[in-house]
Amino acid sequence: MDTRIILFILNGLTQAAILFVLGSGLTLAFGLMRVVNLSHGAFYLLGGYIGYSILQATGSWPLALIGGGIAIALLGFIFERFMLSRVRGGDLPQTLLTVGLSMVIADLALEFWPRNSITLNVPRELNPPVMLFGVTYPGFRYLLMILAVLIAVALWLILYRTKLGAAVRAGVDDRETVSALGVNINLIYTAVFVLSAFLVGIAGVLGGSYLQLSPGGDTTILTYSLVVVILGGMGSLAGAFVSALILGQIISFGTAFAPQYSYFLLFIPMALMLAVRPQGLLGRQQL
Amino acid sequence: MNAPTQSTSTFKNVTRFAWILLAAALLLMPFYAAQYTVTTFIRIFYFGFLALSMGFLIGQTGMVSLTQTAFFGVTGYVIGLLGVERGVPFPLPEILGIIIALLFALVFGLIAMRTYKIVFLMITLAFGQICWAFAIQNSSLLHGWAGIRGIRPPVVFGIDFSEQSTFYWTALILFALGIYILWRIVKSPFGLTLNGIRENPRRMIALGYPVYRIRVAAFLIAAVYAGIGGILAAYNSGIVTPTAIQLSRTIWILLVVILGGSNHFWGPIVGIVVAVWLDVSISQVTERYNTIIGIIFVLVVLFSPNGILGILDELRKGEKLAFIRKRLPLRHNS
Repeated sequence: MDTRIILFILNGLTQAAILFVLGSGLTLAFGLMRVVNLSHGAFYLLGGYIGYSILQATGSWPLALIGGGIAIALLGFIFERFMLSRVRGGDLPQTLLTVGLSMVIADLALEFWPRNSITLNVPRELNPPVMLFGVTYPGFRYLLMILAVLIAVALWLILYRTKLGAAVRAGVDDRETVSALGVNINLIYTAVFVLSAFLVGIAGVLGGSYLQLSPGGDTTILTYSLVVVILGGMGSLAGAFVSALILGQIISFGTAFAPQYSYFLLFIPMALMLAVRPQGLLGRQQL
Repeated sequence: MNAPTQSTSTFKNVTRFAWILLAAALLLMPFYAAQYTVTTFIRIFYFGFLALSMGFLIGQTGMVSLTQTAFFGVTGYVIGLLGVERGVPFPLPEILGIIIALLFALVFGLIAMRTYKIVFLMITLAFGQICWAFAIQNSSLLHGWAGIRGIRPPVVFGIDFSEQSTFYWTALILFALGIYILWRIVKSPFGLTLNGIRENPRRMIALGYPVYRIRVAAFLIAAVYAGIGGILAAYNSGIVTPTAIQLSRTIWILLVVILGGSNHFWGPIVGIVVAVWLDVSISQVTERYNTIIGIIFVLVVLFSPNGILGILDELRKGEKLAFIRKRLPLRHNS
């Protein structure tokens, strides 16, 4: 195969890794809580920015990754406990709250971080050139793919091998019955939302290291995440995985062959899916 | 639903007097107010059309559509492409702009109306982003980020609409007319059908209403309103760029509608007046307009989901401000 094509596929897989980490958190929170977290993009941006500051201060990239994730998880916890829980059950008020939050975060970020694009510099030892499939490719990008797969496995284990996961899955199907059975559903909600925030915070650091962070980038990221989730089927982790793989390739090949329409192309599978199968690739929930 | 609670004759007289006073103040504004104030009001009018568009969908039909700004942009781009770049005379670009906005709305509407509530919101958000993505990346036709410059209001029958007070009066009259027509639509049997769909779409289907088509029709009406706002905005700023249709603009308009009171007919209008006024006055003090309006918005959603007009309603009813959580009117259980 043409080495160029191999490079495009690898770029697509790197994109897919970020898209999956982005989409998985959103889809989990949506499946259980019916909350579309429209501050997902702002969380990503903030996670990346915090990671950037940690990297500047300590010079440790792994610390930046964990720090970005934990900071956003904390923010998610506060937001869920003190705001979202007040309008529990109201789909729209919940969504509107996340809209307001995203606006505040994106605006305040302008106050604390540079207004031009920034990139987190990955240390050389995490980014060795790797020779595979006949091409030399940055090792950090392979690391991204490995991390995404690890996250997917971890999420799968949490969902299908732990008590928490069982309660979450049961909550997706029938939250009334679950809470009647003595499960503290509010606790489950908070846990899932915090997990979702942690994932998107990590995604911010990963994305900020692979691409860049810039003001206004939050809306683009939010759109990416929504497209992943809508295409894959809302609430479906496996769906997010598959759709991230598809969309990653579309972004990569679109950028290479139709740069004027690369972003636009991303929406085509989603629009087709909505017309043919509105619940998405692997979604079960009837809309 | 928003009928005045007191309908004594004195109250009516006072209201009528207030309306006349307001109308006179608005009509005479170019004579007594600073140029700056007039500019601010022009902004209120064209964003007002956008707010009416979104408010109509939220308040009357319970649909939170985040595509509305795209229709606002479509007409602007059509005017730029035809009027500026190809010299097509007034009013063809305007009419064509509205028609193209309607076509967009039809295509989007036919897909999105298969869904309800949050899923509808997500899909319309994606549609809005499709348009934005096309606008930023397409350089051959839409010139990407740079957009189209040099849009000037036309001279018709010797009247130069680029003259500020003429433009102000045109925008004012169009806005008043737009409000009146929307009021008639809302109070018509069609409007009541929309309310029925908002409350319980399934029941309306069972009653034999073509719910899907009615929702598409409401979407088309809203697109026209957004489109008219887009025409005025393009003429006023002289430029149309992807910024006009970016998501943060859409979200801003959503905040405006909820802030004013989405279940009130006048909510979007009150919201846009407050938001633009706030923008103008805050921008002299701080750059953090979005933070402030975002926080206000969160407080409104948490404590007074019916917005400013909801608070006024409660005050008028002589009740204490009920700072308790109430269900948002737009939440319907189906």
